[in-house]
Amino acid sequence: MIKAENLVKSYNGNQVLKGVSLKIENGGFVVITGASGSGKSTLMNVLSGLERADGGMVEYDGESLKNKSEAQLTEFRRRKIGFIFQQYYLLSHLSVENNVKMGAYLAGNNEYLSVISAVGLGDKLKSKPSQLSGGEQQRVCIARALAKNPEVLFLDEPTGALDESTGREVLNYIANLKRERGFTLIMVTHNLNVAEMAETVIKMNSGRIVETYKNEAQKSAYEIGW
Amino acid sequence: MVVSVKDTLKLAGISIVCFCAVFVCTFFLNYYLDVIPLKDLVSAETRPLYDAQIATAKFTTAITGGVLGLIAAIMLVFYIKLYIDGHAKQLGIIKAMGYPNGRIAAGFAVFGICVFIGCAAGFCAGWGAMPFIYKELTIAGMPEITINFHYGLLFALVFAPSAAFAALSCLYAYFAMGVPVMALIKGKSKKIVKESKKIEKPRPFMLQNCLSTLASKKSLAFFVAFSCFCFSAMVQMGLAMEETVTATMGYMILGIGVVLALVSAVMAVTSLINGNVKNVSVMKAMGFSLKECVLTVLAGYVPFAVLGFALGTAYQYGLLQLMINVIFKNVGEVPAYSFSLSAFFITLAAFIVAYAALIAVYVLKINKIPVKEVMLEN
Repeated sequence: MIKAENLVKSYNGNQVLKGVSLKIENGGFVVITGASGSGKSTLMNVLSGLERADGGMVEYDGESLKNKSEAQLTEFRRRKIGFIFQQYYLLSHLSVENNVKMGAYLAGNNEYLSVISAVGLGDKLKSKPSQLSGGEQQRVCIARALAKNPEVLFLDEPTGALDESTGREVLNYIANLKRERGFTLIMVTHNLNVAEMAETVIKMNSGRIVETYKNEAQKSAYEIGW
Repeated sequence: MVVSVKDTLKLAGISIVCFCAVFVCTFFLNYYLDVIPLKDLVSAETRPLYDAQIATAKFTTAITGGVLGLIAAIMLVFYIKLYIDGHAKQLGIIKAMGYPNGRIAAGFAVFGICVFIGCAAGFCAGWGAMPFIYKELTIAGMPEITINFHYGLLFALVFAPSAAFAALSCLYAYFAMGVPVMALIKGKSKKIVKESKKIEKPRPFMLQNCLSTLASKKSLAFFVAFSCFCFSAMVQMGLAMEETVTATMGYMILGIGVVLALVSAVMAVTSLINGNVKNVSVMKAMGFSLKECVLTVLAGYVPFAVLGFALGTAYQYGLLQLMINVIFKNVGEVPAYSFSLSAFFITLAAFIVAYAALIAVYVLKINKIPVKEVMLEN
C-alpha cells in the first residue's frame, strides 16, 4: 500500500501541496485529476520519489521515503517505479530497442523484445526516436517503463500529445497490461473522461484533495468520451 | 538578434587559445622582423646561430599560429553548432517571421568579439614579455636588437583573425541553418537521420549506451584527445627542454600546454555534460545510479584520452628531434636531446592526478543534475 500523510511542498514561497493525505492499495488504478496548477504533477513527483516533500511522509508497504538519501531514493525508484512521461523523454541517440533495453537492464529482464512487439513496434527496433511519430514514441516510452517490470507505474498526461485514435489505443494497451501484470497504476491527467477508466479518482484543487471517489463500473478506453 | 554579446563571453576558451597563439606569435614575429635587417651585420662565426634563431622564430610561429588557429576555428564552429542546436526553436520562429538566413547568420558575427579579445590580450601580453624574450634570444657577438613596433603585425595578429573568425561564424551559421523552418521550430537543427542499415551487434546495455553517447557527440572525442595531447606534449616538452632552451622558454611552453589542456578539457566535458543533462535526468528518474550515469557520459572518451596522451608523447619527442636536426643543422654544438623517461613519468603522474580531479568535479556536476529536470520542459 502507498500511504501519504500531510504532504506539504512549496516552490519559492508558493505552497503547491497543502497537507495532502491519501492511501492507494497495491494493484489499484488511480487517476489524479485537477486544473493546471492544482498540484497534481507535484503530488505525483513526491509520491514517486522524484522530489522530496517539505513536510509529511510517503510510505510504500511501510517503507518510508522520508529519510532516504539520494542514492537510496534512486535505488528505490530502480526497484519499484516506472514512469511514462507526457513528452516521452526517450534518449535520442539510442534506437527503439536500446531505449527499451534501458528499462529492461534495470530489472535484469531479458524478455524485452516481447514488450516491444506487444506495443506494435517489432519492425522499428533499429529506428531512432526522431524517425518515429508521436504515438510511436509514446509506445516506446510505455515499453521502456514496462520492460522494467515496475510495481507502481506513474503516468503523467500519457495521452496529452496524442491524437484521439492513438490515445485510445495507448490507454487500452496500458489498462490491459495492468490487468495482466497487476501493477499499481497512478495516472495524472486533466482529462476527466480518462478518469472514468480508473477505480479511484482523486480530484485536486489549489494544492488540496477536494474529492475522492470510486467508479462503480470502469469504462474501457474505447467507451470513454474524448 | 538571436546572439547576444553575453553569448560570446561564454567562449572564454576560444579567447584563451587565441591569446596563447597571438602571445607566442607576437614576440617571435616581432623578433624576426627586427632581426632580419641585421643580416648583413652578422659575423661569419655567429651566422649559424643567427640562422637557427630565424628558423626557430619561423618554425614556432608557423606551428603555434597554424595549430592553435585551427583549434580555435574548430572550437568556434563546434560552439556555433551547439548554439544553433540549443536555439533551433527561436531561430525557426525568426525564420518563420520572414527573416532570410543571411540576415540571421549576420548576427553570428559577434562571435568574432571573443577572438578579438583573445588576440588583443595576447598581443599586449606578447609586447609585455618582449624585453625578456629578446634578452633570452640574444646571441653573443650580435649587434644590439632594438624592439620596434610593426603595424602590420597588429593588423595580421589582431584585426585580421577577428574579421576572419567573424566571417567564419556567419558562413557556418548560414549553412547550418539551411534546415526547413518547421524542423527548426520542432527543435530539430539537424537533418533527419536515415534509418541505419547496419546490423548492430548485440551488446550489454551499458556498453551500448556508452558507445551511442560517444557516437552522438563524436566531435568531443577530438577535444578530449587534443586536451590530453596538449598536456602530454607540452608538459613533457617543457620538462625535457631544460638542456635545449632556457628555463623561461621551458616554463612558457609548460604554462601554455597546461592552459590549453585545461581549456580544451573543460570545454569538451562541459559540452558533453550539458548535452546530456536530459538523458542523465531520465536515467536518474528511472533509477540508474550515479556511477552508471557517469559511465554512460564519460567512459567512452577514456580511450581517446589515452590515445591523446600517447600521441602527445610521440609528437613532442619527434618534434624536438626534428627541430634540433633542422634548426641546429649548421650549428657546431648541437644540444643533446633524448627521450626523457623521468619527464614522461612525471607528466603521466600529473596527468592522472589532474584528470582524476577534473572528473571528480564533473561527477559532482552530474550528481547535481536535478532528477526533476525532465519535468521542467513541456
